[in-house]
Amino acid sequence: MVDFGRVQKELQECSRDMEASGIKIAPVSDNLVHLSGTIPGPIGTPYEGGTFHLDIKLPDGYPFEPPKMHFVTKVWHPNISSQSGAICLDILKDQWSPALTLKTALLSVQALLSAPEPDDPQDAVVAQQYLRDYQTFQGTARYWTESFAKTSSLGVEEKVQKLMEMGFPESLVRSALEAVGGDENMALEKLCSS
Amino acid sequence: MVSDSITNASIPSIPNSKDFAKKKRTNRSAKLKQCKLDARREQWLSQGAVKSKGCKDGLGDDRKERDRALENSRQREEDNNNDRSIHHESDSESPSNSPVNSLLSGGGTDSATNFGGSSGSSSSSGSSVCGSSTGGCCSGSITEEEEEDGCLDDWEAVADALAADDDNNNNKTEVEHDNPCYQSPSESQLSVQSDSLHDLTSEFGLDSVNSMPDSARVGYNMRAWRPDDAFRPQTLPNLAKQRSFPASDRRFVPGGVPWTCNNVLTVPSSCPICCEELDFTDSNFLPCLCGFRLCLFCHKRILEEDGRCPGCRKPYKRDEIESEASVQGGSLTFRLARSCSMIARS
Repeated sequence: MVDFGRVQKELQECSRDMEASGIKIAPVSDNLVHLSGTIPGPIGTPYEGGTFHLDIKLPDGYPFEPPKMHFVTKVWHPNISSQSGAICLDILKDQWSPALTLKTALLSVQALLSAPEPDDPQDAVVAQQYLRDYQTFQGTARYWTESFAKTSSLGVEEKVQKLMEMGFPESLVRSALEAVGGDENMALEKLCSS
Repeated sequence: MVSDSITNASIPSIPNSKDFAKKKRTNRSAKLKQCKLDARREQWLSQGAVKSKGCKDGLGDDRKERDRALENSRQREEDNNNDRSIHHESDSESPSNSPVNSLLSGGGTDSATNFGGSSGSSSSSGSSVCGSSTGGCCSGSITEEEEEDGCLDDWEAVADALAADDDNNNNKTEVEHDNPCYQSPSESQLSVQSDSLHDLTSEFGLDSVNSMPDSARVGYNMRAWRPDDAFRPQTLPNLAKQRSFPASDRRFVPGGVPWTCNNVLTVPSSCPICCEELDFTDSNFLPCLCGFRLCLFCHKRILEEDGRCPGCRKPYKRDEIESEASVQGGSLTFRLARSCSMIARS
């Protein structure tokens, strides 16, 4: 059984200093076991300027077991699968501690973006590129950030349009997009579940 | 009750050997005294039981009466040296009373004030010793051996044991022993007591606070002074909260001992794992040397799984946990203090 009291408190604390950290956590479903996290790309990296969405699922044993996280936004990073978004990070596995929170875990993921560990890769292709041709790696990562992690205002309007064509009212579409941080698929999921 | 039995059992042997002659001389009055003393003890036991239930209002009056009795008895002692029994009675009732009260009421405050009050205005130096078990033993010895020299000799034994290196105080004690000035036995005792305790506590407070028995001693030292005592060493921390039991253990000696240091600095109000409030037991529970605190429920759950401290990821050591938890309990601290004083006496 997930400790909902603690999750609630974590969400409150995270929203309290959202401005400083830039990290957002919002519940996807009402029962607080499925959440969505948002981290800004670290400045000075190919991910700068991007907004990365993560899907967070809390296991029954949380906080004694680590939350299950993966990137929804596509990322070009040696320790993140370019296909599935799976994250290779020790604190999300055996080095998890109940003293960590969703916010500190997301901060760690953000730190992972700025400090890749190509010797312990999740995505072997990316890691190879990182080690052999760092310039190309940077170019690809920047391109992926531009392509997948940036939501222009025009993009938002296009998504609104697209979702409205599916038959949802505009106000609901906009609020759903806002709630999930602009991700089209997650907004659709939210609209369908509500 | 325990200290009573202890004092009764352990003390008579020493002065019996020392004051055999004196005993003979005052045999009759001693018998008389013993009768009265027993009756008194009965009386005080029952009264103490009542008092311990919370009606402390009567204490002041009792104290005044005892003060008066003491004053009268002193006068009589000075005038007529044969009339000892009254003084003994008045002198004995308070010390025999104080450990009872302290045990029944569960805190040193009452007994401390009792002792101070019973010895009259001379105890204004605030040697409220009876809060600790040492005080109980000392007063017990006074109770049992009322002959002035016997009492002082017995005290000397205690003082020697307590402050072996304190030559000045011992000399002072001896001088007062040689001089059978009966006008102020309690004064001299109390001043010696407070002086030697002063040195003891400053030693303990500065040097030897790193082990568990010492921490117990620190706890007992707390009660040697009142917070408003002028003779209280300034190096001692303010322990006003020591008297109110629930908040006591984690607040005392800030910065004195590493683990207390941790306590003081990082006692969270709620468990960082489950966000529930930490109760008294939880907040005194320090399972890991890194100082990471959590509630007992979360700790148990972690032990069932990987058994590592959430703060430092080192595996918990079970023995440390148990000893920590038990020593932090107030009752054991109290018991340790008593046993320390027993060791010091012998």
